Amino acid sequence: MPHPSTGTNAIAWVDDIASDQAIGACGAKMGRLAELYQAGVNLPKGFTVTVEAFWRHWEQAGLAEFADAALDGLGPGAEPARIEAAAAAIRAEVGRRAMSADLAALIGGAYEELCSRCFEINVPAAVRSSAIGEDSGTASFAGIFDSYLGMSGPERVLDAVRDCWASLFNARAVSYRLRAGLHYTDMPMAVGVIELIHARASGVAFSVHPVTGKTDRVVIETNWGWGEAVVQGLVTPDHVEIGKADGRILKYQVADKTVVSAFDYAAGRVVETGMPARLVSQRVLDDEQITAITDAVLAVERHYGYPVDVEWVLDRHRREGEPICIVQARPVTVTTAQSTPTEWDPAAMAAKYIFRT
Amino acid sequence: MATVIPVDEFISDEWYPGFKPSYTHAPWYIDPVQTFRKEDEENFWFLDFHWPRGLTPMGLIWNEDGYNWASQLAAEQMPLPPGRGITCRLGGTHTYGSPLPVNDVREIGQRARRLERSLPPFLQNFDGIWGDMREEVNESWDFFRGVDHSALSLEDLRENLIQARQYHKRAFEIHFQVMYPLLANYIGFYSMCTELGLDPGQIGKFLQGYDTKIMETDRELWRLTGAARAAGLDRVFAASDASQLRSALSAHGGSAGTWLTTFDDFLQVYGWRTEGSCDIALPSWNEDPTPALGMIKSFLQKDTVHDFGKARNAAIEEREAAVDAARSTLTLDEQKLFDGGLASCRAANFPWWQDDHNYYIDLRISLPMRWACQAIADRIGADHQDDTLYLFWPEIMDVSAGRRPYDAGMRSLVEQRKQYFDYWLDRRPSLPKVVGTIPESVNDPILIEIFGLNSHFLRAVEAAGSDSEVKTLTGVPASKGTGRGPARVLHNADELHRLAPGDVLVCESTSPNWTPAFAKIAACVCDGGGTLSHAAIVGREYRVPTVTATGLATVVISDGDDVEVDGTTGRVTVLKNQAPNGRG
Repeated sequence: MPHPSTGTNAIAWVDDIASDQAIGACGAKMGRLAELYQAGVNLPKGFTVTVEAFWRHWEQAGLAEFADAALDGLGPGAEPARIEAAAAAIRAEVGRRAMSADLAALIGGAYEELCSRCFEINVPAAVRSSAIGEDSGTASFAGIFDSYLGMSGPERVLDAVRDCWASLFNARAVSYRLRAGLHYTDMPMAVGVIELIHARASGVAFSVHPVTGKTDRVVIETNWGWGEAVVQGLVTPDHVEIGKADGRILKYQVADKTVVSAFDYAAGRVVETGMPARLVSQRVLDDEQITAITDAVLAVERHYGYPVDVEWVLDRHRREGEPICIVQARPVTVTTAQSTPTEWDPAAMAAKYIFRT
Repeated sequence: MATVIPVDEFISDEWYPGFKPSYTHAPWYIDPVQTFRKEDEENFWFLDFHWPRGLTPMGLIWNEDGYNWASQLAAEQMPLPPGRGITCRLGGTHTYGSPLPVNDVREIGQRARRLERSLPPFLQNFDGIWGDMREEVNESWDFFRGVDHSALSLEDLRENLIQARQYHKRAFEIHFQVMYPLLANYIGFYSMCTELGLDPGQIGKFLQGYDTKIMETDRELWRLTGAARAAGLDRVFAASDASQLRSALSAHGGSAGTWLTTFDDFLQVYGWRTEGSCDIALPSWNEDPTPALGMIKSFLQKDTVHDFGKARNAAIEEREAAVDAARSTLTLDEQKLFDGGLASCRAANFPWWQDDHNYYIDLRISLPMRWACQAIADRIGADHQDDTLYLFWPEIMDVSAGRRPYDAGMRSLVEQRKQYFDYWLDRRPSLPKVVGTIPESVNDPILIEIFGLNSHFLRAVEAAGSDSEVKTLTGVPASKGTGRGPARVLHNADELHRLAPGDVLVCESTSPNWTPAFAKIAACVCDGGGTLSHAAIVGREYRVPTVTATGLATVVISDGDDVEVDGTTGRVTVLKNQAPNGRG
């Protein structure tokens, strides 16, 4: 049964779009969430302002001509200052040009629907960029586009959507594309609007060791509060490794976590701030929570059939035995296929560690 | 830029009076024993710790038969893929060793394949192989112990000395044939454990708690200590200096006399050992029991008796606990690998053999040659029994064959050589620990493990050579591989233009606008961040070795420091540059 606000292709609900269309319509990040919903993974409620909405606004506001003119003549070897100037000009223009009333009403209506699904007026939302191809292949655009956590009320959500569109022209995204020989139209920007889970703790989980490429373990990194401080590398998180074969916790390294991403009620958003002293060196996750996170990341890996990393949130209202909430999943950027020997081979070890042959 | 420590002070063909190293006479396998030449500066030489007093002319036999024959032979036979064993140069009476490299990549590959075939069967059959070798060494030992030197003619003594040297040479062939493969296996296991994230301080414990011949000796010394106490000899021991103890005990008579009989029985079994390795100039405990009596004297000063059974049980308990703790941090696949390596290292246990072989080889194998030299000294009427140790091998061969008289000229030569020995003994403390060109890494197992020439040591001597200091930081290994270069400490992205290709980026953390810098840096070190921080992700993508969460990198490291980043282990080695802001 079609939902009122999905009568147009400008909006796609995470729980109401076919897997085979999800990434094309919703971009990589949000498209994957829709796929995971179909696979039965526990997710926050939310919808995507689709690629089609982006194009509709782009045409209506005349931004295509403006962007083409600003980028004209820029090649892979362009001066950083020129790239920066062109990118800033486009972002400013995106900020200046209003959204059509129709499109604004569609997005606003979807947000109202999200509020009612969450039983909360002006529910704080995470507004996330979700460009086409942003984490495909080897060139990771991880962290290169904007996300806004804790946007409350339709006005702030609309502004955040436009800011995400504008972030398609962050200088480093522009120079990345120039070097990769890509045009911005190759990676139009969808935007996710997702219920902000009230995080007790958050983090990332890999179904493969991200550094050594070992496929025999799950690696979790975690901090109190929301995951931004971890993802941005602002904090040294607790580090946990779990053996895949038997689910045993191999190591838990408690870090001194000096920064936390916390909800600032006055500012109405998640901000990075100093960690309360009593939490700095306190272990974040207990064994049961670790098992829940491990189960979740392995379910995602099984679904895709290749190593993944996920961002997860531990809802402060979660009870023991309940699943963890996944807010993002993607293929692991670099996996060095490493064949780990399981039989002791003295000559091979000596060659590797001593003789370097 | 490689650090070079000049060899000039040692370049000389002048040596022990009346002898030039160019008279090289003993066979060598790849490279002979020599004094330094200028071109030796291109190689890396370390001062050998085995002979802190220096070597007498006859002591040179060890260099010839040990390093320049046996280690080179073993490295060729095993083979050691990238090395041909150890050679040495002489700085006065002191020995500097150096690895002999194989440089041809094709040859290294072929040698590596040969090693793949030779190493596993050696390790699997180690017990039998070492058992046979030990038996061979012991059989000859019994022969030499049974020789009555007083009954031999000078010519027979000469023949006996030649046989004793052949025995010595063969024992060191065995020594290096065993040591190289055992060490290769041990260092491989140790390194694998380190890469598996195990605490290096625990790895040695996995192989402890196995009895050796040296421990057997210690046990007997404690038994003798108990007997001395029971006989009421505490005061006699306390009152005399170790060197005077034997005469003091004899003079005491009674229970002391009985105790001395027991002590002499002990010496007949365990006293054929010297207080240092591989040196003909050193007496055995039988010749001079001062070290053994001194040990018993010091044991008597303790209130408690060392309980060997308890200590051994504690060592075993500690071993098993260390293994359990290590295994608990490993995945099932890793446990299988670890168990295999541990079983192999236990079956062919280097730390155990290191103690055991010293008893059979290093501490006593020079003695038959020493006895023959001393007997020859008596026979030719030398002023002191040790004087023949100041002759070179060709000289003692001539003298004992009657081809050359042991005349006033030779006696004076011996005196001059003793002075030469003393002169270099005094110089020992000020000798450079290493000379020549300091390499990036050393890949001879003996030099790595026995001499400790690991990368940390090499960076430290480099630092000493350039009058700087070395510091180590550890953090989260975020992107594997190693990289080295001058440090560039950046506090914000505005400074990114200061990075030159090959620099090591040092910062608190990076954000996406730092990404382009990763295309040109050699490595990256961050104060904070985990394995999913921006620097970690981009480091992996650009294959730039990266270590995060070092805590203090931006404080400890200054611009221009020479920094080596190991993104596989999380170790950052910093050579402080004394010239501020210099480009290293």
